[in-house]
Amino acid sequence: MSTVTAPAPAHLEARRRLVSAELLKVTSTKMWLGMLIGVVLFIGIGIAATILAPEQPGAFAPRLSTPEGMRNVFGTASGAYLFAIVIGTMGMTQELRHQTLTSTLLAEPRRNRVMVAKMAAYSAIGAVYGAVGVAFGYVLALALLPLKTHADIPWTAMWQIAAGSILGCALFAVLGVALGTLIRNQIAAILGVLVWVLIVEALLVSFLPKFGKWLPGGALNGIIQATGPNNTSYLPVWGASLVLIGWTVLFGAIAAATTQRRDVT
Amino acid sequence: MTTTSLGATIDVAGLTKQFAAVRAVDDLSFSVGPGRVTGFLGPNGAGKTTTLRCLLGLVAPTSGTATIDGKHYHDLPHSMRVVGSALEATGFHPGRNARNHLRVLARAAGIDERRVPEVLELVGLADSTTRSVGGFSLGMRQRLQLAAALLGDPGVLVLDEPANGLDPEGIAWLRAFLRYLAGEGRTVLVSSHVLSEVEQTVDDVVIIAKGRLVRACPLSELTAGHSHVVVRTPSPQQLTEALAAHAPTARVSAENDALHVVDADAATIGRIAFGAQVELHELRPASSDLEEVFLSLTGGATS
Repeated sequence: MSTVTAPAPAHLEARRRLVSAELLKVTSTKMWLGMLIGVVLFIGIGIAATILAPEQPGAFAPRLSTPEGMRNVFGTASGAYLFAIVIGTMGMTQELRHQTLTSTLLAEPRRNRVMVAKMAAYSAIGAVYGAVGVAFGYVLALALLPLKTHADIPWTAMWQIAAGSILGCALFAVLGVALGTLIRNQIAAILGVLVWVLIVEALLVSFLPKFGKWLPGGALNGIIQATGPNNTSYLPVWGASLVLIGWTVLFGAIAAATTQRRDVT
Repeated sequence: MTTTSLGATIDVAGLTKQFAAVRAVDDLSFSVGPGRVTGFLGPNGAGKTTTLRCLLGLVAPTSGTATIDGKHYHDLPHSMRVVGSALEATGFHPGRNARNHLRVLARAAGIDERRVPEVLELVGLADSTTRSVGGFSLGMRQRLQLAAALLGDPGVLVLDEPANGLDPEGIAWLRAFLRYLAGEGRTVLVSSHVLSEVEQTVDDVVIIAKGRLVRACPLSELTAGHSHVVVRTPSPQQLTEALAAHAPTARVSAENDALHVVDADAATIGRIAFGAQVELHELRPASSDLEEVFLSLTGGATS
């Protein structure tokens, strides 16, 4: 004869609250700010180097004044993806490291909902990082470009690259949440993500593009219309977007599935 | 059960949890009723925390069930409004302040955030709401855990070692607070590895050791059957033989220069001594203290 003391809230309302709780977790500590400063520095250095570095004859990167070179400059403003995947990873591993996962699951024992809410919250954070990175990177690029070239600014491509960067950062943040769930140890997860993204994948994408363009990082290159060494092109924007979404859904689903019955001790 | 009655019954039935090579909980069954404070006792490693984690849906039992009001924790419509819990090894992000820690939980659980300052006030942390938890003492963390448990104004409270890290004043406060909550009709389950820490608080005890149930009874019954009689005599050998002949169930042990007799009352011993013409210098019933009983119960299960 048990009775429910209050009417069950609409599923959507409960899910919205969970996302908002996840966002409050992020904004109630200082890490997001440190990472955002990282985004600005990383993109600032990347853009400045891309534009100002002396061009070497026979260099395998496209020349700055070509349309490909210009697109690569604005594509560099997508650099926030690196911070998006790291903050996503930490979003989960910190819960394990500080043992806050217990409270999280006591407040909402339906683990799938918690996972989905976390991924939704971090996709928003990734998108914000992406947008800040693009805004800062574009302003810096537009200020520095006249020092080196008077080639036409590819305005249309810039908008497409901006949208692609923001989408890419959102997806990378979700990928980070999934990887943090699977690797669990914070230091191992962050190191693993950085080694993969900056070294393993970067080499595969640059030197084995046939294979590398199907990886998450290669897909991001496609989304931002980048041109690789020796005029390598990656997947078209729509195809690359689908590939990156596919990776994110795959890892997200594996992460959610492994969380269902795992003991939280 | 109606909507006006506060507490619900906790039922643990045939609960078993096997972790790799360790059977942490072994076919454990007991129930905990409303309006009482129940002490969940056992030495460290007895399986208390694992049992509570099974009850709260954090650990999946190998077999058996642990339910609240007949439901699994994840099937409760508003879990934190039905059950408030504070578990050991539950952490805080050191950089988040007390108020935000509770706001996150309230938001996730669908509890009005106006409740946050109320519970902080209740546990005596009203002056520390904007301090980072990283700077909190163990006692303050315990209070914050308790505040989190109280957020949903729940009818059932499950507290794992809540007295750990509290100073004597804090323990006295906790005792009064738990008595008050049980007095309102709530179900209060408190674990501890030290009986003396909770003996003035609990009405009932559930004692486990090595994952198995040792005793589940009202505290007052715990010492029944554990009293003994102290006998002093110049001829212990003679008395021991006489007792063996006339009261074969009595168990006699020598301690210091006295005999401790279990399972025979003072009158019986006096009569047997009189019949055997043994001179007595002292014949005194003594009750074991609770901690001794607790240790003998939990130690007994290890052999």
